[in-house]
Amino acid sequence: MSLFPKVGRQQPQLRLAWWMIVAFLVVGVVLHLFPFYYMIALSLTPARETLSATPVLWPSEPTGAAWRLVYEIVTRSSLDGRVRDLMRVPFMVYFGNSLFMTLMTLAISLPVTSLAAYANAKLQSGRSARWFFLFFIGTLMVPGVVTLIPSFLMTRNFPFPLPNPPLIPGTDMPFPTLRFWDTPWAVIIPGVFNAFNFLLFKGFFDTIPNSIIQAARVDGGSEFNIFRRIVLPMSVPVYAVAAWLQFGAVWDSYLWPLIVLQTPEKIPTAVAIANLMNRFMQAGATNAEAAGAMTESMREILEAGLSWNGLMVLGLLQSLPIFIMFIICREYLMRGIRIRGLK
Amino acid sequence: MTQITLHHITKSYDGQNAALHDINLTIADGETVSVVGPSGCGKSTLLKIVAGLEFPEQGQIFYNGHDVTEIKPQARGVGMVFQDYALYPTRRGEGNLAYFFEVHQRSAAEEQARIKATADLMGVDFAWLLGRTPDTLSGGQQQRVAIARCIVRDPNLFLMDEPIVNLDAKLRERTRMEIKKLLRQFAITTLYVTHDQQEAIFMGDRIAVMRRGRIEQIGTFDELYYTPANLFVATFIGAPPISVLPATLENGQLTLANTTWPLPAELGDRLPVGAVRVGVRPEGWRLDAPTGAALTVRHIERIPTQQAAFIHGTLAGSAVTALAPLDYPTVHTLAVAPLWENALFFAAEGEAILHTPGTPDLF
Repeated sequence: MSLFPKVGRQQPQLRLAWWMIVAFLVVGVVLHLFPFYYMIALSLTPARETLSATPVLWPSEPTGAAWRLVYEIVTRSSLDGRVRDLMRVPFMVYFGNSLFMTLMTLAISLPVTSLAAYANAKLQSGRSARWFFLFFIGTLMVPGVVTLIPSFLMTRNFPFPLPNPPLIPGTDMPFPTLRFWDTPWAVIIPGVFNAFNFLLFKGFFDTIPNSIIQAARVDGGSEFNIFRRIVLPMSVPVYAVAAWLQFGAVWDSYLWPLIVLQTPEKIPTAVAIANLMNRFMQAGATNAEAAGAMTESMREILEAGLSWNGLMVLGLLQSLPIFIMFIICREYLMRGIRIRGLK
Repeated sequence: MTQITLHHITKSYDGQNAALHDINLTIADGETVSVVGPSGCGKSTLLKIVAGLEFPEQGQIFYNGHDVTEIKPQARGVGMVFQDYALYPTRRGEGNLAYFFEVHQRSAAEEQARIKATADLMGVDFAWLLGRTPDTLSGGQQQRVAIARCIVRDPNLFLMDEPIVNLDAKLRERTRMEIKKLLRQFAITTLYVTHDQQEAIFMGDRIAVMRRGRIEQIGTFDELYYTPANLFVATFIGAPPISVLPATLENGQLTLANTTWPLPAELGDRLPVGAVRVGVRPEGWRLDAPTGAALTVRHIERIPTQQAAFIHGTLAGSAVTALAPLDYPTVHTLAVAPLWENALFFAAEGEAILHTPGTPDLF
């Protein structure tokens, strides 16, 4: 609304421009919502129809079969052994893994990142503040693929990014290392410092006038007390945004958990669903036996009644927590703006 | 009750340019010292160093003879009022006042009693402000809460950093009175920073004039006005400002703007022969003098409350302001002559002062 002046709204050119902006925004909204619509529509489509060449915009006969089937898969309550074996572990275990890793990352990362940003914005000054800021932000500049292998090696031989720990000089004993590979901590620890959230927090803390902090110092508050009692209540909206961003990132992360988690009981839902999807989608083989086995596997899954419709149900289940988190964070964001912490 | 001593304080933010340069200052117990100076002269830095929010590179600060140079602001027990009020935005007025008691683990009863006492002191409608969040308050109301937050703790020292500069003119006048009343009531040692000399004169028992990190002069208003330490103080203090005119002194005769006057003998003997500069304040001109120099009038500013008019004009190329009676007729030129007993003499170059009239014995 504030994009457009109230004065002169009646002018034809302005009206035209107004409607063009509205049309542009509508296109944007549709582009964002269409995948969700398609997931829902497909999840209600019978298995056979999902395999037809023409895209299904709305099923000819909506059915809840896929939802029932997925319910049976995730609870492993089906009487049919083939369906039961589609997931080796109850879905709730994957869900629990995801939840644990995500919430643990948030619980550690938000305090660490925000305190670092606060220290950089308000307690450091001059040259040192600038260099620290550049150092932290520099981690954003390194592409993830560059650090992927060293990070993986580090989870195996922390703190050495090497396949095998080096020997202690003068002995044939290797340095003691910490291995958190194939534990949830391999996912949690790399997410503890989040450079993007650091930028977000720092940008906000920079807008808090120094005089407020100084007034609190004169009032006798220790630095941590000032942070907790004065700065934190002002920063609720930023925490909401940061928490939501990181929740989505960790919950949806696929590549990293795939690399560092091997045991099926430890993988998160994103990996579990992708594994299931892979068994369905695999195409191409180098020899006849492999192709035959693959066809057999696909036939089994299809016979169990699982097709794209079931995968869409799983996809919806996977996105549901992010929606819930969004609604929670949005509430705090709005409340924060109402109390005018964020201007 | 606190006496503050600053001993050779030097402070630099970037290591090269000194924000404060060898500051020595003593504030007596219960005294109010105004610090005045152009922007960027280090007056806010001085205040922050006294509060402990900045640390000096050299020098010491004493509260009642105790060296507090290394003491953190949390432990100094000062009350500070900021230019932008600096209220805690998420706390109501009462919460702003209460923070001090929360961090000092005082009892709720004491907290309530002190807030109540402060509210009574701040006036009848102050209790209403306690229930409001800062963003719903006007600038003046916010500043009242900020002042209350400063006095609720019984500070041993008030520090005010341009507290009323952000208020509009009418409110500024009223708040000025209120602060003055509070200062008189408490008789607490106060350092009051401002860039407005009228405010500094009004608030301060003594006034410190600062420039580029140095205190140029400190004294009562009369001392600064009648016996300035240098040209800067002479031109900074006084509104409208002093007129400084180049002149030549020969044989006891002073030539200024193509007019020559004989100087009083005791003055002529004391001044060096040659080029000098004469400083004349607006009230230091004799109007319609028979041997006067011609002042070209630009504008006559009449101020009824003071029963006076200021004649702004030019005298031999220099801007000059002269004080006249309110009913002085509108003219284009008039003859003026300096009143020698009120005139100041400066060296032709630099800022050195050669002669001041001295503080008059008014009472």
